[in-house]
Order: sequence, then C-alpha cells, then structure tokens
Amino acid sequence: MNKLASFIQKQRQNKPLLMMTHVVYGYPSIEESLDIMQLMLEKGVEILEVQFPFSDPVADGPTITTACHHALKHQPKLAQCLKDIKQLAQRYPQSRVLLMSYLNPLLQSGFESLALQMGDDVIGIIIPDLPIDHHSMLVPLPENGVSPIWLITPDMQQERIKTVIKHAQGMLYCVSRSGVTGQQAPIRDDTKAQDIQSYLDTIKKFTSLPLAVGFGINTASDISSLKGHADVAIVGSALLNAFNKGGLDAVAEKLQELQP
Amino acid sequence: MNDEGRFGQYGGSFIPEILYSSQQQLLKAYREAMADTSFVQLVKSEMQHFSGRPTPLTYCANLTQKIGGAQIYLKREDLNHSGAHKMNNVIGQGLLAKRMGKTRVIAETGAGQHGVASALVAARLGLECVVYMGAHDIERQYPNVFWMKQLGATVVPVSTGAATLKDALDEALRDWSSSYEDTHYLIGTSCGCAPYPEMVAGFQSVIGEEVKEQSMQQFAKHPDRIYACVGGGSNACGIFLPFVDTQTELVGVEAGGRSDAPGEHAMRFNTDQARFGIAQGFATRFLQDDEGQLQPTHSISAGLDYVGVSPILADLEEQGKVRMTSANDIEVIEAFKLLTRHEGIIPALESSHAVAGGLKEAATMSPDEYLVINISGRGDKDIFNIAKALHDEPFTEFLHSYLKEGAAQ
Repeated sequence: MNKLASFIQKQRQNKPLLMMTHVVYGYPSIEESLDIMQLMLEKGVEILEVQFPFSDPVADGPTITTACHHALKHQPKLAQCLKDIKQLAQRYPQSRVLLMSYLNPLLQSGFESLALQMGDDVIGIIIPDLPIDHHSMLVPLPENGVSPIWLITPDMQQERIKTVIKHAQGMLYCVSRSGVTGQQAPIRDDTKAQDIQSYLDTIKKFTSLPLAVGFGINTASDISSLKGHADVAIVGSALLNAFNKGGLDAVAEKLQELQP
Repeated sequence: MNDEGRFGQYGGSFIPEILYSSQQQLLKAYREAMADTSFVQLVKSEMQHFSGRPTPLTYCANLTQKIGGAQIYLKREDLNHSGAHKMNNVIGQGLLAKRMGKTRVIAETGAGQHGVASALVAARLGLECVVYMGAHDIERQYPNVFWMKQLGATVVPVSTGAATLKDALDEALRDWSSSYEDTHYLIGTSCGCAPYPEMVAGFQSVIGEEVKEQSMQQFAKHPDRIYACVGGGSNACGIFLPFVDTQTELVGVEAGGRSDAPGEHAMRFNTDQARFGIAQGFATRFLQDDEGQLQPTHSISAGLDYVGVSPILADLEEQGKVRMTSANDIEVIEAFKLLTRHEGIIPALESSHAVAGGLKEAATMSPDEYLVINISGRGDKDIFNIAKALHDEPFTEFLHSYLKEGAAQ
C-alpha cells in the first residue's frame, strides 16, 4: 500500500479533514522558513508541503511568486533543502512532508538522484508544470517509494481524469478553480460550495484515492464546506499572508482559526 | 506521450493542467484554420492591405562597395505597418482569435513592439487588449506604452522578478489560467507551448517565402547566406524556415551585450551559461544557473533580451542547419551608424545585430556571393537609447526644455 495514501486513510479514521500547509523554502530566510515549518508540525499539521523556489513560478499567484523571488536572493540549494526537510520529517514522525517545485530546478539532478535524495522521509512530490502526458519522466520516483502527486482541475474531461487516475498514487491534488494560487476563495457563497462539492463527488466516482483540495482556501468556512467531500484541505497563500502580516504568531493564530 | 510540438529534444507542452483544455482548443482551431483556404487567403489579404506586404528586398550599393566583399541585400521588415515584422504574427493570431470567438487578447511584450502590434490588430478587429510588460521595460520604452494606450489597450506593469520580458510572459500565462474561456493568449515570438512556436514561425514564414521569389527576380539565385537577429527567434524563424535544407547558409546573431559575464548578455548559444531546460511552457536552451534558476539578461536592445530561445532554432542549431554568432553592444552601434549613413535606412537596435553579423562576414566573401540581412524593424522607437549611446547632448537639452515647457503649462 502506498505510504501517503495509507497515512491519510489512517488519520482520517478519527478526523473529518486533514490539513496540508505550504511553506516556501528560503522565505523570508532559510532559517526562518524552517522555523515556520517547525511551528506547523509542532501544531499538528498532518502534511507539510515545502516549495523549493523557482524563478518563474507560472502557476503561483502574487503572494507565493513574490516569496519565491525573495527566497532566491538567499541562493537556496535543492540538495540542502532536502537535507533540511528530511531532518524535520524525522523529528515529526506523526506528520508527512512533501516537496513541491517546478520542473527545471528538479531536472538539474535528474529524477533518479532526486528519488534517492528524498529517501524515505519526503514521500511525495508536486510539479505544477508537468502535465500527465509526461508521466514517464517520473518513473524513478515511485520505484523509490516517492509518490508523484497529479492535479485534477474543474473543467477536466472525464477521459483525462481517468488517465490521471491510472497513474496517480498517494492522493490527488484537486484544484478548486481556474487561475493561480492565492486568489480569492471560491467557496464563499453557497452555489460555489455546492459546485466544488459536486466536482469532488464526481472524482470520487472514479477513484478511492484520497482527495486533497487547494487554491484559494483561507477561511474556516472554506474548510468546513470541504468536510465529507475531501480528505485534505491545502492552505498556502493564506498562511503566507498571515506570516507577512504578523510573523510566526500570526501563523499560529491562523492555523488555530482554520483547524478543521 | 504527447509528441505534438516537439522539435528534436526541444519544444513540447509543459503547462499547468488548468490550461490543458484551452491549449487543446487552440491546437484544433489552428489546424482547422490553416486547412481552410478562405482563412489563409484572409490572412494574406490583411498582410497586404493592412501591413503593406510584400516588403522590398533592397540592394545596398554603397555598403557593398565600401566593404568590398559579398553583394549585400536587406529584407525590409521595417516597412511593415507598426515598423516591425511583429505585424505578420499578430494579423494571423488576431484573425484566429476572432475565428475562435474570443473577445479578448492578452500579450506579453519586451521592447513594446509586439505590444503595439497586438494593440493595433485588436483595435482593427474590435478585440479587448491587455498587454503585460515588465516595469523595467516600461521605463526604457515608454513611447510604445503611450501608443498602446492610445490604441485602447490596457498596459499592466509587471514588477515581479527581474521585471522584464520573461516575467511579463509568466504574468500573461497566469492571466490566461483564469481567463481562457473568452481570451486568446497572443504570444509574440516562436516560444511557449505547442502550437505557439510552430504557429508564430508559420505566420512569419511569409518573410522567407518573399525572399525566395525576390532573390530569383533580382539576382537569379537564392542568397548564399541569410542573417537575422535572434531574441525569442520569430524574425529568424520567419526568414530561415523556407530555406532550411537548401544551399543557403542561415546565420543567427544573438545579443553579445556588454561582456560574456553572466547577466551581461543574452546569448543562449556558444556559452556554457545556457543549456537544456524546461520552463515557461516548453523545453529549449535557457540561460540558467547550477540550480536551474533562469538568469537575468542584458542587451542594448530590449527585444533581444530573452532568457530562452525558440525551440525550432535550438533544434536547427543542434542539427547544424543554423549557425549562431553574436554581436556586442559596441559592434551594434557601429553597424547602426554604417547603415544609417551609407544607405539612408534607420534599423532597430535588434536588427542592427543582424547588420553587424552580416557586415563582419561580408568582407570575407567574394563579389559573386549574395547575402541578405533581415531588417526586422525600424529604429525610430530606439531614439532615446541611441541618442544616449551616441552621447548626443542636444537631445538631453531638448528633453529638459520639453519638461520645462510641460511644467510651465
């Protein structure tokens, strides 16, 4: 059984919804970004998604894009990033750590070497600019126990959803709406909440994989509308905005507010 | 594996999943349109009646005599409406957007030439137009921003990253991710995901097709060599592609900038600072560091200041079918002066790279050889930058008194 999927299923036995939070490695500095990650794990976040910054993050909105460009001033190294987050994963064995980055920084070492560097501690990877058509590029990852996590989008044709599911492992990352990360929440009014719920229920017809939902989730009501329809709520820009306003304390407060 | 849009190991489609459906829709619409003779005829007619095609092939008697080598000809893309070859592509894509029922186009622009061309076509076709432009480029090229606004386009400054062309392209892709239902992304160069490289190069190939006919008429053979500047690569693709696998040697001239140091030039070939990468929707040679981060670029001409290059050219170069060379900022200004003084033609600084590359080699060729240099655009837009490079003090005085007058009113 897949490590990530079984973790989620086990956790879900006594929790209605898990939380996956996102941190940009190197923002505002490498040390401080590790502090943010540690805080989240300390607060019991089930899954931590660490974004290794790229100069041209085309799927990200202004909050995360600006953080990435800022982080790059510290010249982060992917190999060091993996060492740092593996350590965190080992210190917090009750949570799971995933890597997110764009294709080009990941290509530099190649996926064989990347899989070995991720080892047993960083168990999944999200690559927003790699379409499912190129899934064969990632073959070395699952061979080493790392799950490539594929994206599902709201206007995706059934045939393509089936193709994604055929190759998917661990969980599916369901994008809640069109656009990039961090734009306004889609779940505010009731019709939209229903749209998302029926979108998730449709995907469930095709797969028993856990469903994670992200893009624009930033209030407690966004989170509660996902209960019973998804397994994991993904929160990115909202926490980064909180950090930008009030540092670690504000992140802790926001986490408390969003607690499912 | 989807092999659509592959050029050797380059090209392809590496876009966020959210854009998949609209990209598929575009691919299909493009194929259907190009198979429809009435559409192809409409593009041709617009190129003639709106942009003034065919553009001339001009013999340079004075320069040929002065240099004493090959016979020198210029392909005059500077005589297009808007003053640059960019027009060829926006006419094609504008008509395609209209045919697809889109009501809005978005574009990225570096120097502003593609932005102006997009705004012109959008005004003519009744499409809403939004142009993304790096904040840094807006500072360098305000006159073009002024014209875009007069044409009814909205210019959005992009201040993320290096605030230049690559960042404008990222931002346009982000817009498209949420607007694809009513919006066509009108990419200005032969880069990006499929079908953009092929489509832009296709609409630009009218340049090379005309050169084929005109060279036969004017000197009874095809040129021995063709020179074109290479930024993203659309004017080079346009003049080169009809000559691939013929006797004509094809030479691309990149921006050598101030020096070979990282961040001081925009050369993607003949340097170990650039190599295979995948970003901005496609695979090509990118200037990047050890961690795969795309690097800043410099060129005296904003239009060559791009971190990647057309996957079509990356592949042709790898196959040895196109030779890449470069001209630095100083050589470019010298070439600009030569063409201006001796032939009465004011080339854009982008095109002046091709002039520099061509003239350098013309001297080593024989008088029975013919070379064609692509003048991709005219130099009027560069008046501020050229005046600065030539240290023209009266121009600075003029600007001071212009501002003083404005303040007095």
